[in-house]
Amino acid sequence: MSGLSRRQILAAMAAAGFSPAFYSRAALSADGKTLKVRSYADIQNLDPAFRKGAPEDDIMRNIFVGLADMTPGDVWKWKLDAASRLEQTDPTHIEFTLMDGLVWTDGHGAVTADDVKFSFERMIDPKLDAVYKGDWEALDHVEVKDEKSGTIVLKAPFPPLWNVGLVFGSGRIVSRKAVEAVGGKFDTKPPAQCGRYLLKEWQPKQRVVLARNPDWKGEAPQFDEIHVIPIEDEKTAELALEAGDIDYTWIAPSSIPRFKQTPPKGGKIAVKPSLAYVWLGMNVEAPPFDKLEVRRAVQQAIDVPSVLDAAYFGAAEPATGIIAPGLIGHREKNIYGYNPDAARELLNKAGLASGFECTIDILNKTEQVSAAQAVQANLSEVGITATIQQHDSGTFWSLGDQKSGDAWKKIQIIINRFSMQPDPSFATDWFTPEQIGVWNWERWNSPEFGELNKQAKVEQDEKKRNDMYVRMQDLMEEGGAYVFLTHGVTGIGYSDTITPALLPHGGPIFHAFKSA
Amino acid sequence: MLTYTLKRAGLAVIITAISLMLLISMIQLIPGDPAAVLLGPLASPEMREMFRQQMGLDQPAVIQIVRFFGRVLTGDLGTDVLTNRSVLVTVMEQLPFTLALVAASIGWSALLGIPLGCFAAIYRGSLADRIVGILSVSSIALPAFVVAVYGLLLFSVRLGWFPTIGAGDSGAPLDQLHHLVLPSLAVGLGWVGYLARMVRASMLEVLTENHIRMARAFGLPERTITYRYALKIAIIPTVVVLGMGVGNMISSAVFAEIVFARPGVGKLIFDAISTRNYPVVMGAVMITTGFYVLCTLAADLIAAGLDPRVRSTL
Repeated sequence: MSGLSRRQILAAMAAAGFSPAFYSRAALSADGKTLKVRSYADIQNLDPAFRKGAPEDDIMRNIFVGLADMTPGDVWKWKLDAASRLEQTDPTHIEFTLMDGLVWTDGHGAVTADDVKFSFERMIDPKLDAVYKGDWEALDHVEVKDEKSGTIVLKAPFPPLWNVGLVFGSGRIVSRKAVEAVGGKFDTKPPAQCGRYLLKEWQPKQRVVLARNPDWKGEAPQFDEIHVIPIEDEKTAELALEAGDIDYTWIAPSSIPRFKQTPPKGGKIAVKPSLAYVWLGMNVEAPPFDKLEVRRAVQQAIDVPSVLDAAYFGAAEPATGIIAPGLIGHREKNIYGYNPDAARELLNKAGLASGFECTIDILNKTEQVSAAQAVQANLSEVGITATIQQHDSGTFWSLGDQKSGDAWKKIQIIINRFSMQPDPSFATDWFTPEQIGVWNWERWNSPEFGELNKQAKVEQDEKKRNDMYVRMQDLMEEGGAYVFLTHGVTGIGYSDTITPALLPHGGPIFHAFKSA
Repeated sequence: MLTYTLKRAGLAVIITAISLMLLISMIQLIPGDPAAVLLGPLASPEMREMFRQQMGLDQPAVIQIVRFFGRVLTGDLGTDVLTNRSVLVTVMEQLPFTLALVAASIGWSALLGIPLGCFAAIYRGSLADRIVGILSVSSIALPAFVVAVYGLLLFSVRLGWFPTIGAGDSGAPLDQLHHLVLPSLAVGLGWVGYLARMVRASMLEVLTENHIRMARAFGLPERTITYRYALKIAIIPTVVVLGMGVGNMISSAVFAEIVFARPGVGKLIFDAISTRNYPVVMGAVMITTGFYVLCTLAADLIAAGLDPRVRSTL
């Protein structure tokens, strides 16, 4: 017997390499220790003042505490986080007391009221020029009473603070000592952390590893580690879920019907209403859309449900404005509905009975392309010939910006989508006269809208505030520059070995995820 | 050989420089304001202006080009404007993943494609030759992304043999190899057919040459004639194509990195272009262009080593 031949060794190695048993194929949550979740992008900046978007927010919520946080569930409401007491004592004063036992990593001591003061005041510091300074625009200062308590003093009443500023990324608390030691701001390496989890490792483009904070004194989170894996492509993420490589992901709207019908093996599906808003806008300065009749004709030429069927496969509901259901200011119905005969008559009145040619600018995303094609078909029925112009994100997001060139002059029809926070001001801020040429690409100019937007931000009475936002959306529709399409939906796929903790719009709170 | 090497190396430097100048010129022509894209809707005008200055976009194109080359000469590829990290570090973190994918793809396709080509040439006109021909053309015609997606559906979702995403745990070579199987299958499959066809054609040409007939007349074994005498000559054009293939595969790797959510320099460049993160685009393209030029240089030198006649062609 001469032992194994080279061929036998190679065959054995190949068999071992291809053996399913050789490698664990289930997401690690199966062992109850590690949760693997998908993020749609890699992190870029974990400083609350300079975060880029949801991928950072989702991670910051685990490694930094705030005084308050949003509660998982179907209704938007906040709960205490690092505060044992948080109370609005009058319209411009909010008193807080921190809970005991909160400690910074890296030897930076206890979390103090002075850290809260530093964290919130830096957001409005003109020298820092924080991207999210608007979340704290009403802040005057924070008074420190003692090591654990203080008062947030506002210049004016500011209801959005409770829906956005205090409970999302801008409300995260950072260590004064640690942040000042690194020059006043940081990027992807937090100089000190205090949360239910700690940032253990960041492998760019591969994963963020969060490990349970051994010093956390509150209720311990369930998983030892959370691996946040950036997967840009939704379809890849869906396959990864189906293969058991991840425990949680957003899924494409187009996949929702399929997954509802045939859920992935070992997986479950949840569908949540999105807060985002998708609309069709018309540039009121670009002929022939400078005529109200033409804009109104377009409003009445578009059959929104058929557009949504094409773009979202029936998974999304038509919108009645830019403020989603469940939020203050949500409007119950539109003013102008689908009426192609009325549209033709309006075009006739405008002297365009034989129709005209125009362009539709869109981002090159599947939903927007499908929506634009359906809109194009609707418009052709009333004699308008629309050409769809697709743009990559880099080009699209500067189309209407006056400082980025002359492209804004050429916009005629645009289909757009903005993301949203659970306060109506976050939706309306972009359509004011001051935003013309910045984010108001329709260049719709309504001083009444602008004034109402300012008043609604400081209005304490919920009923009055609601009415103001409803009126603002009426103004948008009456101005003819907007067709409200949808808020979309958020499809979520997750392993049946876990119970995800989701906000009303589907946003995840990873530290509250549990084993099923 | 030394003269040839020096001439070829000089040409490589010129090619790299021209490629980068073309790239910088293209960047100037692309619409979209990087500051608006990168900073988002909430950034103040002052912040945007400061950002433009940081990226050097407030300077004329010529100044930008001169500055970039000046920095490259000192080994500084600039700073990633999104993360404030060194571009060199960012690119070098991603490059090994792409190189591993390219090496695995080209490795298995050469290991399979070259013997298949030899086999088809030896048995020219036989049923086996025809089958190899059909399979080769089919593999060339099959779009790589189709192979990727169906590979995922079959081998990952259905059979559960291979992971769908990622590059494996660092420090676990077996896990990393396991993660390489499907992406390299997708990237390399077309090359199997391409190499097989190319080697077959070269071999057929060489096998009719006088020195091969002479070897047969001397009664040398067919195996020796094929692999020692014929393949040595027939492989020369294949080596050159393989050198160029590395560059082609770096491009092909982009789709594999996206579909398989793998880290890599292709996806890094794709993301950086989408976000107009120009320092990363320029740094990453600089390194991949340099690498590509080095590969073609190496292929040319190997070809020149194998066939002295090549040295007089530059």
